[in-house]
Amino acid sequence: MDKIIYAILSVKEDPEKLMAQLNTMKGILEADLYIVSYEDISAVVSDINRSDLIADKTNALKFAELIENLAEQFTVIPVRFGSLVESSDRIKKMLERNYNKIQNNLLEIKNKVEFGLKVFCDPEKMKAEIKIKAEAEPLIESIKSKKKSIYTDYLLNKLKEHRFEEQLLAHVDCIILDITTHLKQLNPIQKFKKMVSATNIIDAVLLLEKDKKELCINVVNELQNKYPDLSFMLTGPWPPYNFVDINIK
Amino acid sequence: MHDNVVDRSKDITILELLDRVLNKGVILTGDIVISVADIDLVYVGVKLMLSSVETMEQLKSAKSIIEKNG
Repeated sequence: MDKIIYAILSVKEDPEKLMAQLNTMKGILEADLYIVSYEDISAVVSDINRSDLIADKTNALKFAELIENLAEQFTVIPVRFGSLVESSDRIKKMLERNYNKIQNNLLEIKNKVEFGLKVFCDPEKMKAEIKIKAEAEPLIESIKSKKKSIYTDYLLNKLKEHRFEEQLLAHVDCIILDITTHLKQLNPIQKFKKMVSATNIIDAVLLLEKDKKELCINVVNELQNKYPDLSFMLTGPWPPYNFVDINIK
Repeated sequence: MHDNVVDRSKDITILELLDRVLNKGVILTGDIVISVADIDLVYVGVKLMLSSVETMEQLKSAKSIIEKNG
């Protein structure tokens, strides 16, 4: 029988509290939950047959719910869905081998929660606004003033496309800078991705102290008011999924 | 007021959640096995889920290779 790992946490302070909580919850396929520990670090696991672990919506949501419940009471490192290990002994050795790495990560995320911040735009509106600026450039104007030919048309189009992309990125960078300035008071650890899709211009994740939720909401409200043409979507608080990017061997 | 900002929309929240469960979190190198059923959890038209769709496709491919090679 394999073991599926849900999360890794430290129970130095209150091991009874963890056991009491695990007794009130069930794992995937309603299996009992238990811990495998090395010193003060524990992995929350349940038994499962390898062939029974199906990546469907029910199991994925169950997995997430369990991690969320644990994260409400403890600092947890979420483990990616589908992580199976063949024995408790191997889990113990894995915790022992990676003890320092896990401890450091637990320290980084202690008493913190993750928020997702996505910014959406109306791409046509944004393109139109930026295109007007791009077309007003001196170099483009000078090409336009030359004798029209197939070559100048080609050059003009390429230059316009290039300038448009440059300005779009510069515009997004300005918004990111403004967001980070607004968020500074929250002292977050943050990661930004730009231009995820035509509409999703910013995809950010923030790691904040648990008690800064309301402040974060206020900041995003301010940003939304400042940029009425953009849509700000804040989700959370989440367990710190995006801030535990360590590989455990 | 808060509802405008903290999006409680069920669909979006589920997409965000699945994206995290399937794509994020600690990776245990060497021991991961995953079975993939007929996936009903991804809505391909939603760009938010693209990374998860790609993951599922990779997992499906990996699974079929494993099955072929016994």
